[in-house]
Amino acid sequence: MGSRFAAIAAASALVLGMTAACGSGGASSDAGSGTIHVMVYGDATNKVEKQIAETFNKTSKVKVVLDTVPGADYQQKLQTVINTPHAPDVFFNWGGGSIKPFVKAGLLLPLDGFIAKDPGLKSNFLPSVFNSAVVDGKPYGVPMRGTQPVLLFHNKKVLADAGLTPPRTWDELVAATRALKAKGITPIALGGGDQWPTLMWFEYLYDRIGGPGLLQRAVGGDREAWASEDSRKALAAVKDLADSGAFGRSFDSVKFTDGGSPALVAKGRAAFELMGSWYYSTQQDANPDFAESGLGYTGFPTLNGGKGDPADVVGNTNNFYSVLKKTKHPEAAAAFLKLMYSEEFVKAQLAVGNLPTTVHTVDFLDTAASPAYSKYQYELVKAAPSFQLSWDQAYPQSASTPMRTAIQQYVDGKIDADAFIKAMQALPTS
Amino acid sequence: MTRAPKSAAGVARPGFAWAAPAAVFFLLFAMAPLVLVAVLSFANWDGITEPHFNGLDNWVALIHDPVMSQSVWTTLLLTALGVLTQTPVSLLLGVWAAGHQRNRAVLSAVYFVPLLLSATAVSVVWRAVLDPNFGVPAQLTWLFGDGNLLGSRSGALAVLTFVGVWQFTPLHALIYQGGARAIPQVLYQAAAVDGAGTVRQFIHITLPQLRNTVITSMVLMVVGGLTTFDTVLILTQGGPGTDTTVSAFYMYQKGFKSYDFGAASAIALVLVVVATLVSLAVVKFSGYDRMRGTAEGL
Repeated sequence: MGSRFAAIAAASALVLGMTAACGSGGASSDAGSGTIHVMVYGDATNKVEKQIAETFNKTSKVKVVLDTVPGADYQQKLQTVINTPHAPDVFFNWGGGSIKPFVKAGLLLPLDGFIAKDPGLKSNFLPSVFNSAVVDGKPYGVPMRGTQPVLLFHNKKVLADAGLTPPRTWDELVAATRALKAKGITPIALGGGDQWPTLMWFEYLYDRIGGPGLLQRAVGGDREAWASEDSRKALAAVKDLADSGAFGRSFDSVKFTDGGSPALVAKGRAAFELMGSWYYSTQQDANPDFAESGLGYTGFPTLNGGKGDPADVVGNTNNFYSVLKKTKHPEAAAAFLKLMYSEEFVKAQLAVGNLPTTVHTVDFLDTAASPAYSKYQYELVKAAPSFQLSWDQAYPQSASTPMRTAIQQYVDGKIDADAFIKAMQALPTS
Repeated sequence: MTRAPKSAAGVARPGFAWAAPAAVFFLLFAMAPLVLVAVLSFANWDGITEPHFNGLDNWVALIHDPVMSQSVWTTLLLTALGVLTQTPVSLLLGVWAAGHQRNRAVLSAVYFVPLLLSATAVSVVWRAVLDPNFGVPAQLTWLFGDGNLLGSRSGALAVLTFVGVWQFTPLHALIYQGGARAIPQVLYQAAAVDGAGTVRQFIHITLPQLRNTVITSMVLMVVGGLTTFDTVLILTQGGPGTDTTVSAFYMYQKGFKSYDFGAASAIALVLVVVATLVSLAVVKFSGYDRMRGTAEGL
């Protein structure tokens, strides 16, 4: 009896098991007892956040409680908890699109009140970085980690063996890929399986060809920006590069996140890789000797006739602390945020390899884990007329999956430029 | 549940009180979420603001979403491939493991190792093994070509099917082993007297006797196949493009990547309906609902 019912039950239960697995209790925010909860992305940098929290707690009556959430689940946890009584008072985020939905829902505290009392909360940070957490003209975040511009990395030995120098222009890069291909070396390593590394090529080519305004218009809701002539030019450049075999043929099976593409460069099987500045520490972990002596880096090449400034950069400007409107201790939160431009903070971040974006970071660069690299990055970011936030962070979270899917399909040749433009125009922008 | 069985007289039927604990759990953890998901599928909810009802919007969008229909077909295709590949391998392995050969116990123990590993670990390991530059394909170029296994739809589906076989065969072999052990030896002895060899014994005794075991194992495979998620998440992330986006993964993307819980709920309901229909079809056409014994006449 009931076997049919049991089969239905088993089937539905299994399906439901997956949908029902959301919603989890968060750390309790016992606001009455004089604590503020600070929720951060869990990784190696947490030791700096712990140190700063301890420093703060030494003098403050209201104590900071640090809640670290494992990185892979951070965004999901934040989304589930932010509009509940378990929400933190202060939380880590990526600025831009990552906080926009919370601002629209009226959950975040605009920081202009804090800044009016202490102008240093704004003036001590590089403007291009600070501005990426400004939503609808109001600041909502204070930079709290390091900046992560995207750079073009290369294997020095592979380039030297092929008689090449690091390319300064797009034409030089294309010529280099031809020469390397003829030698049987994959010109550019690409972790296409992760999808977001491919996106970086789009971000830079759109900037160099169309200028930073193009994407700002698109994110602002101007769908015609995607159909513009510059957009088509950038798409053609990406496609030409991919079709020429510059990324090899198996990039869709390679990932950055499992060490596949960095290994190609470190072992001399590929020459270039376009990646965020964390690439240096990735290589340092996996191939310390190579990171020490064989790893070169430059900015993205310039493009003749393009509208973008050759000094523009793209990437993650920084991470930010934002404050919830309903916090019971806004003064304590403001005092805590002030530590984000303290000397202790800058030194601690530099020591773990991060590059904080305060205006006086430059005074401490000699204490960095790798001073030359930190100096290069700092000058690059400081001199950049535009620092474009990664597209998937600039757009609302809900755009991320369709955007990455379209990127992969376009490079694979499964959809053409028209279909790609249509997919981009369909992305949610608010 | 509805039809009272006309069981042999004298055997008392257990009261419903016995089913109460299971029924309460089922109502609380299966039926209640199902109802909530059904309600949510008519609403727009991002997880932070109040959900508001938007009528049939989610459903209209879902019907016009080419990725959704593609994902249902991909799910069914992967399920069918899973059943077709896992059944023969696990059947042969299970029947072999039910015997009394030398080294059988040791080899069986080795074969069952994948059963003990988490799906996540299995996926991570296979990703490394199949890396086009540093894995097996780089050494066997005559077989794998450029090694771009996860770069095409057919390649990625083949990898998912293969990893499924590797991962789930032990479980089903275990079920078959149990089934084969339960076959009365007297049948084989009679067949041997009549001059039947190993192959004929397998076809005419083992297979018919294992009919119900086959159905049990197939229902498990179908339900498991329809809810495949972890291997897709780690091996392909639904890629290249949306080529291996199965419905369960698409639901996850909508819910926990795009924070569109209304659309995710609609996909979940579609999955419930499809899984139910497929399970019913398997039960109906296999005669599982009648559940006749295979030991008649013994």
